[in-house]
Amino acid sequence: MTSDEALMLEFQGGSRAAFEELFARYRKPLYGFFGRRLNNPERAEDLAQETFLAVIRAAYRYEPRASVRTYLYGIALKLLAAERRKFLTSSTLGQPPAEPTTDGTPESVLWVRQAMQKLDAPEREILMLREYEQLSYSEIAELLRIPLNTVRSRLFRSRLALKTYLESEAKTNPALRASARQPHPGRRGLQ
Amino acid sequence: MSTNRHPIEQEELMAYLDGELPMDQATEALAHMELCPECQILAAEFRGVSQVLMAWEVESEEGGIPSEINAALGERPEKRTAAKVSSLRLDRLITRRWVWTGALAVVCLAVGLKLMLASRNRNGHHSAVYPNMVAIEQYLSPDRNAEIAMARSAAPEAISSEAKILVLGWRGYETAIEGQNGFVCVVERSWTSPFNSAQFWNPKVRGPVCFNPAAARSILPLTIKRTDMVLAGFSKAQMIASIKSGFDNKELPAPEPGAMCYMMSRAGYLNDAVGHFVPHLMFYFPPTDKSSWGADLPDSPVTLNPQFRDGPEPITEFVIPVGKWSDGTAAPDM
Repeated sequence: MTSDEALMLEFQGGSRAAFEELFARYRKPLYGFFGRRLNNPERAEDLAQETFLAVIRAAYRYEPRASVRTYLYGIALKLLAAERRKFLTSSTLGQPPAEPTTDGTPESVLWVRQAMQKLDAPEREILMLREYEQLSYSEIAELLRIPLNTVRSRLFRSRLALKTYLESEAKTNPALRASARQPHPGRRGLQ
Repeated sequence: MSTNRHPIEQEELMAYLDGELPMDQATEALAHMELCPECQILAAEFRGVSQVLMAWEVESEEGGIPSEINAALGERPEKRTAAKVSSLRLDRLITRRWVWTGALAVVCLAVGLKLMLASRNRNGHHSAVYPNMVAIEQYLSPDRNAEIAMARSAAPEAISSEAKILVLGWRGYETAIEGQNGFVCVVERSWTSPFNSAQFWNPKVRGPVCFNPAAARSILPLTIKRTDMVLAGFSKAQMIASIKSGFDNKELPAPEPGAMCYMMSRAGYLNDAVGHFVPHLMFYFPPTDKSSWGADLPDSPVTLNPQFRDGPEPITEFVIPVGKWSDGTAAPDM
């Protein structure tokens, strides 16, 4: 199998097909990255595209000592930070913040969103990078430029905190209890 | 949980569950967890948290490369791609393999195969060693790289080196390596056995299998569904009902034409009766009379696999042994 890094080097050399392969591998993961953090599907799509545009523009700077995965999520994190800064600026100018879409959203998903918001931002980010982007501890450490032990301890704290929320919520919310037991056969759908 | 009573910290337990401990520590963690109900509970709680988090799915629209990206790409010089070249080369390799494999599907292995399958069935009826599921950790591999290597060993390198690799974690199967040829390699566990098999909960079972694209789309979802249900704590009756209903309402696909898989690993352990078995290929169909393949007839190399017989999946599966393991070495006479 051609590695991401080899594809990136091929793309540096001018191969469009190598980029198309990288796009196919990372389009959905990047959309998910932004989608969960912004609750705004249109902006998530835009920023996922922006990430790939940044790759096209700056491909010549890529060096194979960094994995493509962390390289891409590094770009994505920067775009996310800029988006949030923009959002804060617009909020201070009196524009109301966009409400997260909740139409038809299952209760279990709403609960997950709420529970995530209760975590400290750094711990939430680490938890999301692990659970949703499925990055390893060392990849998260490299991406966030923090020690590996810090990744592990923050991840541990955030999971314990969520466990506590889950226990208290499940006592009063039978739907959550039930949803926790439902398998998700479609979530690993093959491409 | 105090550190005095447990050789591993809670944080280390979490790292073990994430596949982030070095091999020696992972082995120690696994050994401790098998004996420590307190740690098993904590592990189950961590799994519960992850399962809840997985409810938050984000689906994007399917589509090609957007026009803005196409435009940006258009400003760059194009170059002939290695990816497409290697793909064509792979096609040729696979074609040659098929011819070669057909020639090597020697009759002498068929007799052994039948004996082995019969032995497996007999064992299924008489053994009661694994009546219930044990702690999930016993079904997991402590070494993610070892599981990746085992999954790849299901098929010759020319196929598996470009296949997508799934590994089993405590949240279910996860993509360890993306592929580019449409094949998917995975190590199956005991719960892909027939529901009435005594090996259904055998934690030693490791079945490396590499599905071709048609089977990856239409057969692999069954493995994933069974696994998800097992991890969610479903009973066998619930699993059977859910699979039936999945086929009834078309959530589960029928076998696609051409669906097949490679099981040519010498590293697998299919059950207590047959061990790593013999290298073989399997072909999947909607319910089909075995006589149409000449299966189980005298000297026929084709055998009807009982995996789905009497089960909720409307699938017929034929097995053909081959003469070599995936690494090219000769398989022993059975």
